[in-house]
Amino acid sequence: MTFSDDRPTMIEFKDVHKYYGDYHALRGINGTIKAGEFFSLLGPSGCGKTTLLRTIAGFEGISSGVIMIDGKDMVSVPANSRPTNMVFQSYAIFPHMTVEENVGFGLRKDPRSKDEKAKAVDEALQMVGLKGFGKRAAHALSGGQRQRVALARGLILKPKVLLLDEPLSALDKKMREHNRRPATKKVANFIGTMNFVPATILSEDGDKVEVEAKGLGRVMLDIAQAPEKAGEEPVVGLRPETLTLLYDDQKASERETDGVIDEVIYFGDMTYYDVYLGGTDVEVRLSMRNVPGRPVLDVGTKVRVAWSPSALVLFR
Amino acid sequence: MAATSKSEAMSGLKLISPTAIYVILLLAVPLATVILYSVLTGGRGTISLPFTFENYAQLLEKPVYGYIMLKSLLIALVVTFITIVLAYPVAYFVSFHVRPERKSLWLFLITIPFWTSYIIRVSLWFVILGYGGVVDSALASIGLEPLNIASYSILSIIIVLAHAYAPFAVLPIFVSLEKVDRSLLEAGQDLGESRWATFTRVTLPLTMPGVIASVLIVFIPTVGDYVTPKLVADGKEPMIANFIETQLLKLNNYAQGSAFAVTSMVMVAVVCLIFILLNRRFIGGQK
Repeated sequence: MTFSDDRPTMIEFKDVHKYYGDYHALRGINGTIKAGEFFSLLGPSGCGKTTLLRTIAGFEGISSGVIMIDGKDMVSVPANSRPTNMVFQSYAIFPHMTVEENVGFGLRKDPRSKDEKAKAVDEALQMVGLKGFGKRAAHALSGGQRQRVALARGLILKPKVLLLDEPLSALDKKMREHNRRPATKKVANFIGTMNFVPATILSEDGDKVEVEAKGLGRVMLDIAQAPEKAGEEPVVGLRPETLTLLYDDQKASERETDGVIDEVIYFGDMTYYDVYLGGTDVEVRLSMRNVPGRPVLDVGTKVRVAWSPSALVLFR
Repeated sequence: MAATSKSEAMSGLKLISPTAIYVILLLAVPLATVILYSVLTGGRGTISLPFTFENYAQLLEKPVYGYIMLKSLLIALVVTFITIVLAYPVAYFVSFHVRPERKSLWLFLITIPFWTSYIIRVSLWFVILGYGGVVDSALASIGLEPLNIASYSILSIIIVLAHAYAPFAVLPIFVSLEKVDRSLLEAGQDLGESRWATFTRVTLPLTMPGVIASVLIVFIPTVGDYVTPKLVADGKEPMIANFIETQLLKLNNYAQGSAFAVTSMVMVAVVCLIFILLNRRFIGGQK
């Protein structure tokens, strides 16, 4: 963990194992998550992310080891007494209730008056941007709205730990790309094929960062394209679909760089090219849709690559 | 355009005609006959014009008609209640605690009582409930007086009917339980509710359509049950169907019997409608 501040530990795993019959689902999980920390579990499907969340929430017991939440061993604490709330992957919105009945579901034993509870529900709905949706039937909501109801339903109970299972699956693609700009090279690598170009940071002035990217040249980036420092060697990341080969007399709308094709991977409707940029040893992969009249190019062909500075992300 | 829709309508009619003819001849025509008989002037073995409401007026005048009607409704309501209370846990157990690959086996086992004729099953209840039967022998062995439950006609009718209809009630409830998204139950507990509170706030409301279906499946046939009062209570506690039989076949009073049949049909329809209206927030509107 890179968090070294003195915030108290909220969740602690000590050698947690979980077996389903012969299947060893969790294999010795260790680690701590601090209060206020935003902690993400990443991994291919079936690797145990949901299982781990469910052991924290108390829906699954563990075969051995200890899970502590806020300094308390959770082994004998049932799910309904744990200081955790979960936003399920399916959202688990109660279909027979209205939006406000869903959000107020956990307040039954709350000692506050009916009016105060109704106010808390309204505030929770406002927080997730669903003000005025309280009387709607839950089944009349869109996927994204359901997710926000599920979020409000958990947050209204002020849990010490909020668990979100696959929280990005409901966002539409555009919104996802907007929200899901990776923060470190490691994450970027995980999310998908990404090209990394070594870079030098020339200057950083308020909301502008100027970098010299090998093979691409000098680029001015917006601070939004440069997530917080993670202590990595500075690199510029570009996704293959943001790069385009220019044919004949096509002109780049923003920037272009010369290159030489090193590898051609033909995929039916797509061709992937690995291209050395601007006479350097920096290689990027780009993808081109195969359309009639656009030949698949050979290895060694000199090409021009169009790219857009706004598609770059600086990892440092 | 009009031609195609006409031929489509024709082929549709052809497709439903066997069923339609069956329903018209064996359901609609007899029903219309019964309704017609109920407003004709009847005598012993005769039925004739003019039209009259005298048969219905008789039902109001003589308290025995109202008593039989009310008794049948109450017996059916009690039987329905007992059946649902017994069937729900069975359905719940099979849906929630039986491994998926074993569920069909369990449902198969639930239908085993149907392998034996209902008449035989009713007779066997005498062995259990009757004087010197299984229950009384068991009580005698611990030094208690025999109960001879079979001599309490209405109680016996209720026990036998509840046993007979329980399997019918299990299936609709089972189906509705199978449809409950299990993550909803986890969500209920995640939000701080106990298992029981989650059941009453989430599972039960979501399975009400199944419960309502079971109620109707049990209530409607038990109100009109003929065999059970006849065999179990030896005709001492006649229900609606037995009374209609007496009127139609023993007294040959077709008009009076028909009026009674129509009235009981209306009563059952009204009770079912009230029940559905009371529960309409559970029906439909859910995905």
